[in-house]
Amino acid sequence: MLTGKKSDRALPTLISLLVVGVLLMTFDVRLEGGGVVGVLRTGTQTIVSPLQRLASYVVNPISTALDSLSNVASLREQNAELTAELAEAQAALTAMQDQIAKLELLEQLYNLGEGGAQVGRTVANVIGAVDAALIIDKGTADGVVVRQPVIDTNGYLVGTVTSVASGSATIVPITAVRQGITVQTGSQTGALTSQAFSSEMTLTMVLDIFTAREPVLAGDRVVTSAGSTRYPAGLPVGEIVEDASPESTSLTTTVRPFVDPDTLRIVVVLAWPPDPIAATTDDTVTEEDTTTTTSGEETTTTTTPEEDG
Amino acid sequence: MRGRPALVIGVTILLAVLVQTTLFARLRVVTPDLVLLIGIFLSLTRIRPEAVLGVAFISGLVVDLLGASLLGLRAVVYTIVAYIAIRTKERAELGRATIAIWGGLLTFVGVVLLILVGTLFGQISLLGENAASRMILVPLANVAVAGLLAPTFVRIVDRDRTALRYP
Repeated sequence: MLTGKKSDRALPTLISLLVVGVLLMTFDVRLEGGGVVGVLRTGTQTIVSPLQRLASYVVNPISTALDSLSNVASLREQNAELTAELAEAQAALTAMQDQIAKLELLEQLYNLGEGGAQVGRTVANVIGAVDAALIIDKGTADGVVVRQPVIDTNGYLVGTVTSVASGSATIVPITAVRQGITVQTGSQTGALTSQAFSSEMTLTMVLDIFTAREPVLAGDRVVTSAGSTRYPAGLPVGEIVEDASPESTSLTTTVRPFVDPDTLRIVVVLAWPPDPIAATTDDTVTEEDTTTTTSGEETTTTTTPEEDG
Repeated sequence: MRGRPALVIGVTILLAVLVQTTLFARLRVVTPDLVLLIGIFLSLTRIRPEAVLGVAFISGLVVDLLGASLLGLRAVVYTIVAYIAIRTKERAELGRATIAIWGGLLTFVGVVLLILVGTLFGQISLLGENAASRMILVPLANVAVAGLLAPTFVRIVDRDRTALRYP
C-alpha cells in the first residue's frame, strides 16, 4: 500500500512542518489572534482582498444565476405572496405618511430636533467566505474596526468583525462564535450559543435561560440584551422554534436565526459602541453621518463628521 | 521545483483560493476543496515530495490567514493529506476513475482530520454549521474535480503530454 520511493526526506519534512503548524496554532491561541498572527492575517488580506473583489464581480452573476435556477420552483409562489404583501405595505405606507406629516408638524410647533446620537453605519459587500467567516470589501480605510457588530440590511444581527485590513474585513457570524450571546426574549434574559453538529437541515442555535420564570413560545422574538457587552441592545437575532417550559429554574430551547450567513450579499457594520471619550471632550462633533449609495453590485460609503450647532 | 512549475503552481493556488472563497463559498451543494486537491494532484507530478509537502503547508496557511479559524489548522491537515497522497499515489495511477476515487478518499480523510483537529482546538463552530454534511459533500465534489482535472494538471506542471494518459 505504502511506497517508500522518493520519499526518504518526506517523513522528516512532514514532521518538521507539523511541528511548525502546531507551534503556529499555539501562538494563535496564546495571542488570541493579535500580535504577529494579526499582522500576518492583515497582510494576507490586504494582498488577496483586491483580487477577491475582482473575482466576486465575475462570480456574483454566476452564483446568482445558479441560485435562481435551483429556486425556480418556489420563486413563482414567492412572487405571488410578495405581490400581496406589497399591496398591504403600500396601504400601510400611505397611512404612515399621514402620521409622519402630523409628527413633523408637531415637531416644528414644539421646536423638537433630532435627538440622540445615531450609530455610524458602513455598508459593505460580501466578497467572499472562508468556512463560516465572511469577507467584506470595507476595512480600516472606511472606519471599520475589530469587534464592531454587523447587521444585515433588515437590521437583523449577523455577527462581529474579527480582523480588519485597509480594504477588507473578516466577519464571524453569530452562528459560528464559540461564546454565547446575551439575549432577551420577552422579559427573560439568556445565553444563545451555536451548535456545530445539528441534526436538523435548518440553521438553529440553542437558547439557555438559567433563571426562567415563564415558558417561551414558538415564534417569540429573540433580541440582543442590554446586558451584552458586544452588541447594542434590541437587535433582532431570531425566533424561538419550539415551545419550552422552565424545568426547575432553567429553560432550554432552539432558536432559528433570522439571518442565514450563506445568503448574505450586503451587510452593515455598526460603529458601536460610540466613542465615549470623543463624546465628552469634543461637543462639536456628536455623531458621524454616513451616506451610502448603492448601484447594482457597487456600494460606496462616505463617512463625514457632522458639526452640531 | 523552480521556474515554470513554481509559477504554474503559484498561479493555480491563487486561482484555487479565489474560486474557493468566492464562487464555491456561495454555492451550497457544489463545494469542492480545490486548495486541498492541489496538494493531492502535486503528489502525482515529478516534483520532489518535500516540495509537495511545503506547497501543501503554505497553501493551507494562506486559507487559514484569509479565514477566522486557527492559524496552522489547515496547513497541518493539508500537509498530512499530501503526505498520504505521496505514499499512496501508485495505487491511483491506474486510470482516470481510480484517480477520482483516490482524490475523493483523500479529501474525506482531510475533512475528517479538519473536523477532528478543529474540535480539539475548539474551532468546530468556525468551520461551518454543517460540519457533518461536509464530510460527504466535499469529497464527492472532489471526486468529480479530480477525475476531470488531475491528468491535465499533471501534464501542465510536468510539461509532459503523455503523463497520465489512459486508453
